[in-house]
Amino acid sequence: MPLLRDIKGFFPPFWITLRNMFRKPVTVQYPEQKPELPERYRARLVLTRDPDGEERCVACHLCSGACPVDCISMQAAEADNGRRYAAWFRINFTRCIFCGLCTEACPTLAIQVTSDFELSGRDPLKLVYEKEDLLVDHCGKNVEYSFYRQTGIGVAAPRGGNPNESAPVDVKDLLP
Amino acid sequence: MPTLTIDNQQVTVEDGTTVLEAAEQLGIVIPHFCYHKALGAVGACRMCAVTVHEGTFKGLKMSCLIKVEEGMVVTTDDAKSVVFRERVSEWLMLNHPHDCPVCDEGGECQLQEMTIASGHGVRRYEGQKRTYNNQQLGPFIAQEMNRCIQCYRCVRTYKDYCGGKDFGVMGSRNRVFFGRFKDGPLESDFSGNIVDACPTGVFTDKTFRFKSRFWDLQEAPSICPHCSLGCSTVPAGRYGELQRVRSSVNEKVNGFFICDRGRFGSSYANHPERPRQASRGQWKLTRDEALVQLDSKVRELIRQHGPEAVLLLGSNRASLETNWMLQRWAEKIGCRAPLLSAHLPRHLAAQVAAFDLADRLASLEKIRQSDLVVLLGVDPLAEAPMLAVALRQAVKKGGQVLAYDPRSIELPCVFEQQSMSPLQLLELLDQDKSPESGRLLDLLKKAESPVLVPGGDLLGAGGLLRVQKLAVVASNQTRSCLVHPVLAGPNSFGCGLLSLPEQDDLLTQLESGRIKMLVCVETDPLLEAPNGERFAKALSRLEELAVLDYLPTLISAHTKLFIPTSAPVEAAGTFVNNEGRQQLFVPVMEPRLPIAVTGSGSHPPREFLPEAPGSDPRPAWQLLQQLLGEEVELAQLRERMKTAVPRLIDFDKLQPGGVFCRVSDADERSCYADEISAQPAGSLQLVVSPARYGSDLLSRFSEKLKPRFTDACLQLHPQDAAERGLDDGMKVALKTDCGEYYLTLRCVEGVATGCAVVENGPAFPQLVPGGKLGFCQVAAGGRHD
Repeated sequence: MPLLRDIKGFFPPFWITLRNMFRKPVTVQYPEQKPELPERYRARLVLTRDPDGEERCVACHLCSGACPVDCISMQAAEADNGRRYAAWFRINFTRCIFCGLCTEACPTLAIQVTSDFELSGRDPLKLVYEKEDLLVDHCGKNVEYSFYRQTGIGVAAPRGGNPNESAPVDVKDLLP
Repeated sequence: MPTLTIDNQQVTVEDGTTVLEAAEQLGIVIPHFCYHKALGAVGACRMCAVTVHEGTFKGLKMSCLIKVEEGMVVTTDDAKSVVFRERVSEWLMLNHPHDCPVCDEGGECQLQEMTIASGHGVRRYEGQKRTYNNQQLGPFIAQEMNRCIQCYRCVRTYKDYCGGKDFGVMGSRNRVFFGRFKDGPLESDFSGNIVDACPTGVFTDKTFRFKSRFWDLQEAPSICPHCSLGCSTVPAGRYGELQRVRSSVNEKVNGFFICDRGRFGSSYANHPERPRQASRGQWKLTRDEALVQLDSKVRELIRQHGPEAVLLLGSNRASLETNWMLQRWAEKIGCRAPLLSAHLPRHLAAQVAAFDLADRLASLEKIRQSDLVVLLGVDPLAEAPMLAVALRQAVKKGGQVLAYDPRSIELPCVFEQQSMSPLQLLELLDQDKSPESGRLLDLLKKAESPVLVPGGDLLGAGGLLRVQKLAVVASNQTRSCLVHPVLAGPNSFGCGLLSLPEQDDLLTQLESGRIKMLVCVETDPLLEAPNGERFAKALSRLEELAVLDYLPTLISAHTKLFIPTSAPVEAAGTFVNNEGRQQLFVPVMEPRLPIAVTGSGSHPPREFLPEAPGSDPRPAWQLLQQLLGEEVELAQLRERMKTAVPRLIDFDKLQPGGVFCRVSDADERSCYADEISAQPAGSLQLVVSPARYGSDLLSRFSEKLKPRFTDACLQLHPQDAAERGLDDGMKVALKTDCGEYYLTLRCVEGVATGCAVVENGPAFPQLVPGGKLGFCQVAAGGRHD
């Protein structure tokens, strides 16, 4: 019966409206009121430091290689203590799509996403971030990892001094 | 020709092929580390395991070691081989430091690729990793021994193939170490090849350290512009900077390797003083303005003083296209035909090579297979380094190398040297004048595939013609005696080919005073021709001097109008190498100021520009096209050039990066009249030899090669020195036709008596190799500065 169906269909919308009238609204009064975003939200990228306070980024180009929109560029250089670091590191946030592939590719956990999403402006150049804008003074989400303490080429610890490494061999030794 | 089955596919291959090579022909890549086509197999890495089901040796075998047999059945993807290879990969990774992010090899690392291909992913071994201390191996090679997987490729390349003596393998069992006995720069002139040979990051290019990842590089097949051999290379650039050069494969020419001069001599393209904008004196011009000025000035002077007033000068550094377009431009404006070289004797030698020797030219591949190679006035390590490696391969196969030379030459192989002054060398080639001639001819006649290697610089055109006669005598019906002439520059042969018959001397022309304007295209007569000082004087009398170049050469200081051209790595073109091989190269990158310069080491400038700074240079042939008013595509230009110069090979048949073809034989002959001046009494014969590094302008302007530049000295035989009362280490005065020079004396046993040897290089650019036979006086004293 179409009439019965129409009558049945008439009341539920009123009921839904009535029910929600007494609920707390979900709309946030941005920008006066800042939203609380989940910890794993993907927004502005930062470059973190290792537990020793040294730059984590070794400018290995894996993030720029993984980036689907080519918004990361950098140049590697060598410091006096043997560390490879980024002489300059640029992320063009006008182009970034916040996919997070760079953070997945990063072997040193240097590049990390933060939940700071407020990236807009009238001047595109202000959204081109250089290394000094990206580098932060903390370890980010992982407070323990230090690449040079895992990898055995004698930068953070002397050669053969990392965990699970034996001392350098004496190649002129004839003992068995 | 056995037929075998690999992974259910049948293939018929040559006898003696290994299973790994046979699989390669089918497109099946069996993982491997220690096998290399040029070095062969040693079975050290155990990575290339396959299962042989039918054959003499059944079961799991190393495919690089077993030869194919008729009816053999092999699988590469059966469970047994796959698991074996995964385990091998796992144990190769036991000691690897896992530092790929900071390793320059990352991205082009065979160990990365093979580990992923073999399926090994998670480390199970919990024991300790072995570590080593590294060595300092000089300015070119960085070592990180912890990454080593003991495939022995480096030592097989450095010692076995290239003949280096100061690098080897030390230690025992799992402590095997690859390096020098103690720290120090690698001495071989082919040391860079271990970078290409190493399948992982133990040896990396120090000059390229941390510059780029492989996937970011702009690369293209190119031809090495440093000597006349024309080895195949792959230069790589990024952010406007030419960052490295690696060897490419051309089995007819260089094989798989290149020399250090070619590999590390690439930074001329990034020279800080490289002119990148057109200028007239202090005034900067745009490219179009400069071309208009050049064109109008040329026309004006021809109208005023007649066609003799303007002279165009090509070069063996410039491509075939550029030199040909220069000839076309001369035709159009109605001036005399351009000179294609500022250095007449070198050019005449190239003409003899391009015409008289054209039907008996030998490639480097022929030299590698030869049983007798005779060097006639050639120092391979200085003039054509990869020739030395080719000679080593000939000797390793049982061949013999004979060298007749006034200099004390070194080769990475066993050879017999006879010290001979240039005059004695010419007598030797005259066949009946020297007692040694008979022996040489006997040896040549007995040999199965003899090759004569004359040096164009030392012998000159007259000497090369004598070599041609000797080759005719030494040939018989079954085989002909081949010749591999060593010439001056990458396109010497091409310039010779374009410019028969007459060529006269640039200097005589300039000094006659009839020339009002000189246009130099990619050449500097002050540095690339003998008598630089007389040139400088003659240049000052010119009304107008225009230079088109990509190097900050000496002549730029004299020039009135300068137009920048692009370096060989930024342009397409053709070089014809010393054995007439017509080789194409394609641009690797666009000309522009490197970001390292515009950003002065920090991040690139934060500005938007329509054109990158310093992107004005264009290929010289393109500029000439603009002057001619016919701007056509390169392919069309080449088609026209092929029609005009019938000896060239059809450009459609050539593929950049391929093996290329030799230009066809010539019907004409050069018309060179030989004259040998008599030696003044008490004089010495002057031998000007190129230094190993920095004699050609490209390597002289390469910052990376500076550590290899040597000091200038004068070499005499101890007997000659004693006769003049001179001691080793003394300052001596060298009096030549070109001027008087003060040099330190070195007494060298290997130098021929009656000869004075000086090296042309950055420390002593005044005398240029390849001039006419000169004589000099050497006396004690002189200035002590």
